[in-house]
Amino acid sequence: MKRVFNLSVTLVTALLTATVVYAHHSFSQFDRDVEMVTTGTVQRWAFNNPHSWLYINVENEDGSETLWSFEGSAPPSLVTRGVVGSTFEPGDTVKVMFCPLRDGRPGGALGWVQLDDGSFVNPSDGGCNGGDANLERWKGWMEKGYTSSTQASATE
Amino acid sequence: MLAAVPAVSLAQFGRGYGPPLVTIPPPMQFATSEAHYAYLLEQADGGTTHTIESVPKWYGLWNTAGNTSMDAFVDAPGFSGKVREGVLTPEYEVAYKERWREQQELGQVKYDRLTHCEPAGYPRFLLEPYTHEFINMPHQSYQINDFANSIRRVYIGQEHKNLYGTHSWYGDTVGFWDGDRLVTHTVDLLPADFTRWAPMTSNQFESVEVWELKSYPDGIERLEVQVTFYDSFAFEKPVNAIYAFRHATAQEEAGHRPQHWECELTSNSYLDEDGTTNFRLPGEEGYKDARGSTLFPELPGQTRDPIYNTTLTND
Repeated sequence: MKRVFNLSVTLVTALLTATVVYAHHSFSQFDRDVEMVTTGTVQRWAFNNPHSWLYINVENEDGSETLWSFEGSAPPSLVTRGVVGSTFEPGDTVKVMFCPLRDGRPGGALGWVQLDDGSFVNPSDGGCNGGDANLERWKGWMEKGYTSSTQASATE
Repeated sequence: MLAAVPAVSLAQFGRGYGPPLVTIPPPMQFATSEAHYAYLLEQADGGTTHTIESVPKWYGLWNTAGNTSMDAFVDAPGFSGKVREGVLTPEYEVAYKERWREQQELGQVKYDRLTHCEPAGYPRFLLEPYTHEFINMPHQSYQINDFANSIRRVYIGQEHKNLYGTHSWYGDTVGFWDGDRLVTHTVDLLPADFTRWAPMTSNQFESVEVWELKSYPDGIERLEVQVTFYDSFAFEKPVNAIYAFRHATAQEEAGHRPQHWECELTSNSYLDEDGTTNFRLPGEEGYKDARGSTLFPELPGQTRDPIYNTTLTND
Protein backbone atom coordinates (compact mmCIF):
# COMPACT_ATOMS: atom_id res chain seq x y z
CA MET A 1 0.00 0.00 0.00
CA LYS A 2 1.50 3.26 -1.03
CA ARG A 3 1.24 6.30 1.15
CA VAL A 4 -0.36 9.39 -0.25
CA PHE A 5 1.03 12.62 1.04
CA ASN A 6 -1.41 15.18 2.30
CA LEU A 7 0.20 18.43 1.35
CA SER A 8 -0.34 21.37 3.57
CA VAL A 9 -0.44 24.39 1.36
CA THR A 10 -0.21 28.04 2.16
CA LEU A 11 -0.57 31.01 -0.09
CA VAL A 12 2.75 32.67 -0.69
CA THR A 13 2.55 34.95 -3.61
CA ALA A 14 0.64 35.12 -6.82
CA LEU A 15 2.88 33.95 -9.61
CA LEU A 16 1.76 34.48 -13.15
CA THR A 17 3.31 32.22 -15.68
CA ALA A 18 4.55 33.64 -18.93
CA THR A 19 4.51 30.22 -20.53
CA VAL A 20 2.43 29.77 -23.63
CA VAL A 21 -0.51 27.58 -22.77
CA TYR A 22 -1.65 24.58 -24.78
CA ALA A 23 -4.56 23.73 -22.60
CA HIS A 24 -7.89 22.05 -23.08
CA HIS A 25 -8.75 22.55 -19.43
CA SER A 26 -8.70 25.02 -16.63
CA PHE A 27 -5.75 25.02 -14.20
CA SER A 28 -7.93 25.71 -11.19
CA GLN A 29 -7.17 22.29 -9.71
CA PHE A 30 -3.53 23.24 -9.21
CA ASP A 31 -2.38 25.54 -6.44
CA ARG A 32 -0.20 27.87 -8.44
CA ASP A 33 0.67 29.83 -5.31
CA VAL A 34 2.65 26.91 -3.92
CA GLU A 35 5.77 25.40 -5.50
CA MET A 36 7.46 22.27 -4.27
CA VAL A 37 10.51 20.28 -5.25
CA THR A 38 10.84 16.52 -5.12
CA THR A 39 13.24 13.94 -6.50
CA GLY A 40 12.32 10.59 -7.95
CA THR A 41 12.83 7.94 -10.57
CA VAL A 42 11.06 8.19 -13.89
CA GLN A 43 8.45 5.50 -14.39
CA ARG A 44 7.05 6.96 -17.59
CA TRP A 45 7.21 10.12 -19.65
CA ALA A 46 3.93 10.21 -21.58
CA PHE A 47 4.72 12.71 -24.30
CA ASN A 48 1.09 12.77 -25.39
CA ASN A 49 -1.50 15.31 -26.48
CA PRO A 50 -3.49 17.10 -25.22
CA HIS A 51 -1.02 17.20 -22.31
CA SER A 52 2.18 15.41 -21.42
CA TRP A 53 2.49 13.61 -18.09
CA LEU A 54 5.63 12.73 -16.17
CA TYR A 55 5.24 9.86 -13.71
CA ILE A 56 7.97 9.38 -11.11
CA ASN A 57 8.40 7.15 -8.09
CA VAL A 58 9.31 9.10 -4.98
CA GLU A 59 10.71 7.36 -1.93
CA ASN A 60 8.89 8.09 1.29
CA GLU A 61 10.50 8.45 4.70
CA ASP A 62 9.49 4.87 5.60
CA GLY A 63 11.20 3.49 2.52
CA SER A 64 8.03 2.88 0.56
CA GLU A 65 7.43 4.56 -2.77
CA THR A 66 4.62 6.71 -4.11
CA LEU A 67 3.92 7.24 -7.78
CA TRP A 68 3.60 10.96 -8.42
CA SER A 69 1.92 12.32 -11.56
CA PHE A 70 2.80 15.69 -13.07
CA GLU A 71 1.13 17.39 -15.98
CA GLY A 72 3.15 19.32 -18.53
CA SER A 73 2.48 21.16 -21.73
CA ALA A 74 1.61 19.62 -25.10
CA PRO A 75 4.22 18.20 -27.48
CA PRO A 76 3.85 20.95 -30.12
CA SER A 77 4.92 23.48 -27.52
CA LEU A 78 7.54 21.32 -25.82
CA VAL A 79 9.47 20.54 -29.00
CA THR A 80 10.26 24.25 -29.30
CA ARG A 81 11.89 24.06 -25.85
CA GLY A 82 13.99 21.04 -26.72
CA VAL A 83 11.75 18.64 -24.81
CA VAL A 84 10.84 15.50 -26.74
CA GLY A 85 9.62 11.98 -26.12
CA SER A 86 13.04 10.75 -25.02
CA THR A 87 13.90 13.63 -22.69
CA PHE A 88 12.98 11.59 -19.61
CA GLU A 89 13.55 7.85 -19.84
CA PRO A 90 12.42 5.15 -17.42
CA GLY A 91 14.92 4.81 -14.59
CA ASP A 92 16.27 8.35 -14.86
CA THR A 93 16.60 10.29 -11.64
CA VAL A 94 14.98 13.71 -11.92
CA LYS A 95 14.30 16.63 -9.62
CA VAL A 96 10.88 18.12 -10.28
CA MET A 97 9.52 21.51 -9.28
CA PHE A 98 5.72 21.45 -9.31
CA CYS A 99 2.57 23.19 -8.17
CA PRO A 100 0.54 20.62 -6.23
CA LEU A 101 -3.00 19.43 -6.75
CA ARG A 102 -5.23 21.30 -4.31
CA ASP A 103 -6.77 18.09 -2.98
CA GLY A 104 -3.46 16.70 -1.72
CA ARG A 105 -3.19 13.67 -3.97
CA PRO A 106 0.33 12.91 -5.24
CA GLY A 107 0.39 15.04 -8.32
CA GLY A 108 0.65 18.52 -9.69
CA ALA A 109 1.56 20.76 -12.57
CA LEU A 110 5.12 20.58 -13.82
CA GLY A 111 7.38 23.58 -13.42
CA TRP A 112 10.99 22.91 -14.33
CA VAL A 113 12.80 19.56 -14.19
CA GLN A 114 16.48 18.89 -13.46
CA LEU A 115 17.90 15.95 -15.38
CA ASP A 116 20.47 13.38 -14.33
CA ASP A 117 23.27 15.43 -15.91
CA GLY A 118 22.38 18.52 -13.89
CA SER A 119 20.78 20.44 -16.74
CA PHE A 120 17.29 21.89 -16.52
CA VAL A 121 14.33 21.76 -18.89
CA ASN A 122 11.00 23.56 -18.82
CA PRO A 123 8.06 21.30 -19.68
CA SER A 124 5.53 23.52 -17.87
CA ASP A 125 2.14 24.64 -19.04
CA GLY A 126 -0.18 27.16 -17.43
CA GLY A 127 -0.43 25.24 -14.17
CA CYS A 128 2.99 26.17 -12.83
CA ASN A 129 5.82 28.53 -13.70
CA GLY A 130 8.87 26.74 -15.06
CA GLY A 131 10.43 29.81 -16.64
CA ASP A 132 14.00 31.03 -16.38
CA ALA A 133 13.41 33.65 -13.70
CA ASN A 134 11.62 31.15 -11.54
CA LEU A 135 14.41 28.61 -12.02
CA GLU A 136 17.05 31.15 -11.01
CA ARG A 137 15.15 31.93 -7.83
CA TRP A 138 14.86 28.24 -7.05
CA LYS A 139 18.57 27.68 -7.57
CA GLY A 140 19.15 30.06 -4.70
CA TRP A 141 16.50 28.40 -2.60
CA MET A 142 17.87 24.92 -3.25
CA GLU A 143 21.35 26.01 -2.17
CA LYS A 144 19.75 26.85 1.16
CA GLY A 145 18.02 23.49 1.29
CA TYR A 146 14.48 24.63 0.71
CA THR A 147 12.03 22.23 -0.92
CA SER A 148 8.94 24.40 -1.04
CA SER A 149 8.14 28.03 -1.70
CA THR A 150 6.16 28.03 1.52
CA GLN A 151 9.25 27.05 3.45
CA ALA A 152 11.43 29.60 1.66
CA SER A 153 8.93 32.38 2.12
CA ALA A 154 8.49 31.70 5.81
CA THR A 155 12.24 31.72 6.39
CA GLU A 156 13.37 34.63 4.25
CA MET B 1 2.96 34.24 -30.12
CA LEU B 2 0.33 31.72 -29.29
CA ALA B 3 -2.69 32.20 -27.15
CA ALA B 4 -1.30 33.03 -23.73
CA VAL B 5 -2.48 32.59 -20.16
CA PRO B 6 -5.68 34.59 -19.85
CA ALA B 7 -4.66 36.09 -16.55
CA VAL B 8 -2.22 38.65 -17.77
CA SER B 9 -3.59 41.04 -20.31
CA LEU B 10 -5.55 41.06 -23.48
CA ALA B 11 -2.55 42.63 -25.11
CA GLN B 12 -0.85 39.27 -24.85
CA PHE B 13 -3.09 37.70 -27.44
CA GLY B 14 -0.20 37.65 -29.84
CA ARG B 15 0.09 41.29 -30.62
CA GLY B 16 3.80 41.18 -30.05
CA TYR B 17 4.39 39.61 -33.45
CA GLY B 18 4.46 42.08 -36.29
CA PRO B 19 2.47 45.28 -36.37
CA PRO B 20 -0.62 45.62 -34.16
CA LEU B 21 -3.65 43.72 -35.31
CA VAL B 22 -6.33 46.06 -36.62
CA THR B 23 -9.94 44.99 -37.01
CA ILE B 24 -11.44 46.25 -40.25
CA PRO B 25 -15.26 46.20 -40.12
CA PRO B 26 -17.22 45.61 -43.31
CA PRO B 27 -18.16 48.71 -45.33
CA MET B 28 -21.67 48.61 -43.94
CA GLN B 29 -23.60 46.68 -41.34
CA PHE B 30 -25.52 43.78 -42.79
CA ALA B 31 -28.64 42.26 -41.30
CA THR B 32 -27.48 38.73 -41.99
CA SER B 33 -24.32 36.87 -42.85
CA GLU B 34 -25.96 35.82 -46.11
CA ALA B 35 -26.38 39.44 -47.15
CA HIS B 36 -22.79 40.21 -46.15
CA TYR B 37 -21.37 37.30 -48.15
CA ALA B 38 -23.56 38.09 -51.18
CA TYR B 39 -22.33 41.69 -51.10
CA LEU B 40 -18.67 40.62 -51.09
CA LEU B 41 -19.30 38.12 -53.88
CA GLU B 42 -20.92 40.82 -55.97
CA GLN B 43 -18.06 43.23 -55.26
CA ALA B 44 -15.65 40.55 -56.49
CA ASP B 45 -17.66 40.04 -59.68
CA GLY B 46 -18.36 36.47 -58.75
CA GLY B 47 -14.85 35.73 -57.58
CA THR B 48 -11.52 34.72 -59.08
CA THR B 49 -11.20 31.31 -60.71
CA HIS B 50 -7.85 29.90 -59.67
CA THR B 51 -5.93 27.01 -61.13
CA ILE B 52 -3.71 24.67 -59.15
CA GLU B 53 -0.80 26.86 -60.23
CA SER B 54 -2.35 30.20 -59.30
CA VAL B 55 -4.22 29.37 -56.11
CA PRO B 56 -2.45 31.00 -53.12
CA LYS B 57 -0.13 28.62 -51.30
CA TRP B 58 -0.01 28.83 -47.51
CA TYR B 59 2.41 25.98 -47.02
CA GLY B 60 3.82 24.66 -43.77
CA LEU B 61 2.86 24.71 -40.14
CA TRP B 62 1.26 27.80 -38.62
CA ASN B 63 0.72 29.00 -35.08
CA THR B 64 -1.97 31.34 -33.90
CA ALA B 65 -0.61 34.87 -33.69
CA GLY B 66 -3.23 36.77 -31.80
CA ASN B 67 -6.72 38.10 -32.26
CA THR B 68 -8.93 40.95 -31.17
CA SER B 69 -12.07 38.97 -30.42
CA MET B 70 -12.05 39.79 -26.70
CA ASP B 71 -12.00 43.50 -27.43
CA ALA B 72 -15.63 43.27 -28.48
CA PHE B 73 -16.75 41.82 -25.18
CA VAL B 74 -14.53 43.25 -22.44
CA ASP B 75 -13.55 46.84 -21.81
CA ALA B 76 -9.94 47.87 -21.34
CA PRO B 77 -7.54 47.19 -19.76
CA GLY B 78 -8.04 43.56 -20.58
CA PHE B 79 -8.39 40.80 -18.05
CA SER B 80 -9.04 43.24 -15.26
CA GLY B 81 -11.71 44.99 -17.33
CA LYS B 82 -15.47 44.59 -17.14
CA VAL B 83 -17.81 42.82 -19.51
CA ARG B 84 -19.01 45.40 -22.01
CA GLU B 85 -22.77 45.71 -21.69
CA GLY B 86 -25.11 45.69 -24.64
CA VAL B 87 -22.93 43.60 -26.93
CA LEU B 88 -24.47 40.29 -25.91
CA THR B 89 -28.18 39.64 -25.58
CA PRO B 90 -29.43 39.74 -21.96
CA GLU B 91 -29.36 35.97 -21.41
CA TYR B 92 -25.92 35.56 -22.92
CA GLU B 93 -24.61 38.61 -21.08
CA VAL B 94 -25.69 37.20 -17.71
CA ALA B 95 -24.07 33.86 -18.53
CA TYR B 96 -20.88 35.50 -19.68
CA LYS B 97 -20.63 37.74 -16.63
CA GLU B 98 -20.55 34.64 -14.44
CA ARG B 99 -17.79 33.14 -16.55
CA TRP B 100 -15.88 36.43 -16.37
CA ARG B 101 -16.41 36.61 -12.59
CA GLU B 102 -14.69 33.25 -12.23
CA GLN B 103 -11.85 34.44 -14.42
CA GLN B 104 -11.34 37.59 -12.39
CA GLU B 105 -11.96 36.28 -8.88
CA LEU B 106 -10.38 32.86 -9.17
CA GLY B 107 -7.89 33.61 -11.91
CA GLN B 108 -9.38 30.71 -13.85
CA VAL B 109 -12.69 29.68 -15.33
CA LYS B 110 -13.23 26.46 -13.42
CA TYR B 111 -14.15 24.24 -16.30
CA ASP B 112 -13.67 24.08 -20.05
CA ARG B 113 -15.95 22.06 -22.31
CA LEU B 114 -12.87 20.77 -24.15
CA THR B 115 -11.91 18.95 -20.97
CA HIS B 116 -14.43 16.21 -21.68
CA CYS B 117 -13.14 16.05 -25.23
CA GLU B 118 -15.58 18.21 -27.14
CA PRO B 119 -13.97 19.47 -30.33
CA ALA B 120 -12.76 23.06 -30.37
CA GLY B 121 -15.44 23.81 -32.94
CA TYR B 122 -15.93 27.18 -34.52
CA PRO B 123 -15.04 29.99 -33.76
CA ARG B 124 -12.57 28.49 -31.28
CA PHE B 125 -10.81 26.78 -34.18
CA LEU B 126 -9.42 30.19 -35.09
CA LEU B 127 -7.41 30.59 -31.90
CA GLU B 128 -6.69 27.18 -30.45
CA PRO B 129 -2.95 26.70 -30.13
CA TYR B 130 -1.19 23.59 -31.40
CA THR B 131 -0.34 23.93 -35.08
CA HIS B 132 -2.55 24.69 -38.06
CA GLU B 133 -2.14 23.81 -41.74
CA PHE B 134 -3.90 25.46 -44.67
CA ILE B 135 -4.17 23.59 -47.94
CA ASN B 136 -5.70 25.56 -50.79
CA MET B 137 -6.95 23.81 -53.92
CA PRO B 138 -8.93 25.48 -56.70
CA HIS B 139 -12.14 23.72 -55.71
CA GLN B 140 -11.66 23.43 -51.95
CA SER B 141 -9.55 24.63 -49.04
CA TYR B 142 -8.67 22.41 -46.09
CA GLN B 143 -7.93 24.04 -42.75
CA ILE B 144 -6.38 21.62 -40.29
CA ASN B 145 -5.85 22.10 -36.58
CA ASP B 146 -3.48 19.74 -34.79
CA PHE B 147 -5.73 20.11 -31.75
CA ALA B 148 -7.58 16.81 -31.83
CA ASN B 149 -6.88 16.89 -35.55
CA SER B 150 -9.85 18.95 -36.59
CA ILE B 151 -10.41 19.62 -40.29
CA ARG B 152 -12.49 22.49 -41.61
CA ARG B 153 -13.40 22.40 -45.29
CA VAL B 154 -14.16 25.41 -47.48
CA TYR B 155 -16.08 24.58 -50.65
CA ILE B 156 -15.11 27.09 -53.33
CA GLY B 157 -17.80 28.48 -55.60
CA GLN B 158 -20.49 26.25 -54.18
CA GLU B 159 -23.79 26.61 -52.32
CA HIS B 160 -24.43 25.49 -48.75
CA LYS B 161 -25.58 21.93 -48.18
CA ASN B 162 -26.77 20.14 -45.09
CA LEU B 163 -27.70 16.53 -45.75
CA TYR B 164 -27.35 15.57 -42.10
CA GLY B 165 -30.27 17.61 -40.90
CA THR B 166 -28.36 19.02 -37.96
CA HIS B 167 -25.56 21.39 -37.17
CA SER B 168 -21.92 20.44 -36.65
CA TRP B 169 -18.75 21.63 -34.92
CA TYR B 170 -17.36 23.33 -38.03
CA GLY B 171 -20.65 23.84 -39.82
CA ASP B 172 -20.79 24.22 -43.56
CA THR B 173 -18.40 26.67 -45.18
CA VAL B 174 -18.51 27.93 -48.74
CA GLY B 175 -16.18 30.51 -50.22
CA PHE B 176 -14.67 32.23 -53.19
CA TRP B 177 -11.35 33.77 -54.09
CA ASP B 178 -11.11 37.52 -54.59
CA GLY B 179 -7.64 37.60 -56.11
CA ASP B 180 -5.40 36.28 -53.33
CA ARG B 181 -8.04 36.78 -50.65
CA LEU B 182 -10.22 33.87 -49.55
CA VAL B 183 -13.75 34.93 -48.60
CA THR B 184 -15.81 32.40 -46.64
CA HIS B 185 -19.31 32.00 -45.26
CA THR B 186 -19.96 29.54 -42.43
CA VAL B 187 -23.38 28.39 -41.22
CA ASP B 188 -25.02 25.44 -39.42
CA LEU B 189 -22.73 25.46 -36.39
CA LEU B 190 -23.25 23.78 -33.04
CA PRO B 191 -23.28 25.93 -29.90
CA ALA B 192 -19.71 26.52 -28.75
CA ASP B 193 -17.62 29.38 -27.42
CA PHE B 194 -14.71 31.66 -28.31
CA THR B 195 -12.65 30.27 -25.40
CA ARG B 196 -13.45 29.18 -21.86
CA TRP B 197 -12.97 32.79 -20.70
CA ALA B 198 -14.98 34.29 -23.57
CA PRO B 199 -18.68 34.30 -24.46
CA MET B 200 -20.68 31.29 -25.49
CA THR B 201 -22.09 31.10 -29.01
CA SER B 202 -25.44 29.66 -30.11
CA ASN B 203 -26.64 27.31 -32.81
CA GLN B 204 -27.43 30.39 -34.93
CA PHE B 205 -23.80 31.56 -34.93
CA GLU B 206 -22.52 32.32 -38.45
CA SER B 207 -19.56 34.13 -39.92
CA VAL B 208 -18.09 35.85 -42.92
CA GLU B 209 -14.30 35.76 -43.14
CA VAL B 210 -11.68 37.31 -45.40
CA TRP B 211 -8.35 35.46 -45.32
CA GLU B 212 -5.22 37.12 -46.68
CA LEU B 213 -1.49 36.49 -46.37
CA LYS B 214 0.21 39.77 -45.52
CA SER B 215 3.89 40.67 -45.56
CA TYR B 216 5.51 43.26 -43.32
CA PRO B 217 9.02 44.67 -42.91
CA ASP B 218 11.75 42.45 -41.47
CA GLY B 219 10.43 39.39 -43.26
CA ILE B 220 7.29 39.07 -41.19
CA GLU B 221 4.49 37.11 -42.83
CA ARG B 222 1.10 36.88 -41.19
CA LEU B 223 -2.01 35.12 -42.35
CA GLU B 224 -4.78 37.47 -41.29
CA VAL B 225 -8.48 36.74 -41.00
CA GLN B 226 -10.94 39.61 -40.84
CA VAL B 227 -14.13 38.13 -39.42
CA THR B 228 -17.68 39.30 -38.83
CA PHE B 229 -19.64 37.08 -36.47
CA TYR B 230 -23.42 36.95 -36.56
CA ASP B 231 -25.55 35.35 -33.84
CA SER B 232 -29.24 36.19 -33.51
CA PHE B 233 -29.41 34.51 -30.09
CA ALA B 234 -26.17 35.77 -28.55
CA PHE B 235 -25.35 39.15 -30.11
CA GLU B 236 -27.26 42.40 -30.18
CA LYS B 237 -25.48 43.19 -33.44
CA PRO B 238 -22.68 41.61 -35.51
CA VAL B 239 -19.23 41.44 -33.93
CA ASN B 240 -16.02 42.13 -35.85
CA ALA B 241 -12.55 40.80 -35.07
CA ILE B 242 -9.24 39.91 -36.64
CA TYR B 243 -7.39 36.66 -36.07
CA ALA B 244 -3.84 35.95 -37.21
CA PHE B 245 -1.46 33.08 -37.82
CA ARG B 246 2.31 33.07 -38.19
CA HIS B 247 4.71 30.50 -39.53
CA ALA B 248 5.45 27.87 -36.89
CA THR B 249 9.15 28.27 -37.52
CA ALA B 250 10.23 26.97 -34.12
CA GLN B 251 8.21 23.76 -34.49
CA GLU B 252 9.40 23.21 -38.05
CA GLU B 253 13.04 23.76 -37.08
CA ALA B 254 12.56 21.26 -34.24
CA GLY B 255 11.30 18.72 -36.77
CA HIS B 256 7.77 18.61 -35.43
CA ARG B 257 5.26 16.56 -37.40
CA PRO B 258 1.67 16.53 -36.15
CA GLN B 259 0.45 13.09 -35.16
CA HIS B 260 -3.14 12.00 -35.06
CA TRP B 261 -4.56 12.08 -31.55
CA GLU B 262 -7.89 12.23 -29.88
CA CYS B 263 -8.70 13.36 -26.41
CA GLU B 264 -10.84 10.44 -25.28
CA LEU B 265 -7.98 7.97 -24.95
CA THR B 266 -5.31 10.29 -23.62
CA SER B 267 -7.00 12.72 -21.26
CA ASN B 268 -7.77 11.99 -17.62
CA SER B 269 -9.31 15.35 -16.76
CA TYR B 270 -12.99 15.55 -15.88
CA LEU B 271 -15.67 17.72 -14.29
CA ASP B 272 -15.87 16.91 -10.60
CA GLU B 273 -18.81 17.31 -8.25
CA ASP B 274 -17.66 20.81 -7.31
CA GLY B 275 -17.88 21.99 -10.88
CA THR B 276 -14.11 22.16 -11.15
CA THR B 277 -11.64 20.46 -13.45
CA ASN B 278 -9.96 17.49 -11.84
CA PHE B 279 -7.75 14.54 -12.80
CA ARG B 280 -7.85 10.82 -12.39
CA LEU B 281 -4.45 9.50 -11.43
CA PRO B 282 -2.97 6.04 -12.04
CA GLY B 283 -4.66 3.40 -9.90
CA GLU B 284 -7.85 5.41 -9.52
CA GLU B 285 -11.18 4.24 -10.89
CA GLY B 286 -11.71 5.51 -14.40
CA TYR B 287 -8.05 6.25 -15.10
CA LYS B 288 -7.29 5.80 -18.80
CA ASP B 289 -3.80 4.57 -19.55
CA ALA B 290 -2.92 6.24 -22.83
CA ARG B 291 0.26 4.20 -23.08
CA GLY B 292 -1.15 0.98 -21.74
CA SER B 293 -2.28 -2.05 -23.67
CA THR B 294 -5.19 -2.49 -26.04
CA LEU B 295 -8.26 -4.67 -25.49
CA PHE B 296 -6.07 -7.65 -26.34
CA PRO B 297 -3.26 -7.57 -23.78
CA GLU B 298 -2.68 -11.32 -24.12
CA LEU B 299 -1.41 -10.84 -27.65
CA PRO B 300 2.19 -9.81 -28.26
CA GLY B 301 2.74 -6.30 -29.52
CA GLN B 302 -0.38 -4.74 -28.02
CA THR B 303 1.19 -2.03 -25.84
CA ARG B 304 0.76 1.60 -26.88
CA ASP B 305 4.23 2.30 -25.50
CA PRO B 306 6.29 0.14 -27.87
CA ILE B 307 9.63 1.90 -27.37
CA TYR B 308 9.80 1.99 -23.57
CA ASN B 309 7.09 -0.57 -22.74
CA THR B 310 6.34 1.04 -19.39
CA THR B 311 3.60 0.19 -16.94
CA LEU B 312 2.09 2.36 -14.23
CA THR B 313 1.69 0.58 -10.96
CA ASN B 314 0.77 2.24 -7.74
CA ASP B 315 0.25 -0.56 -5.29
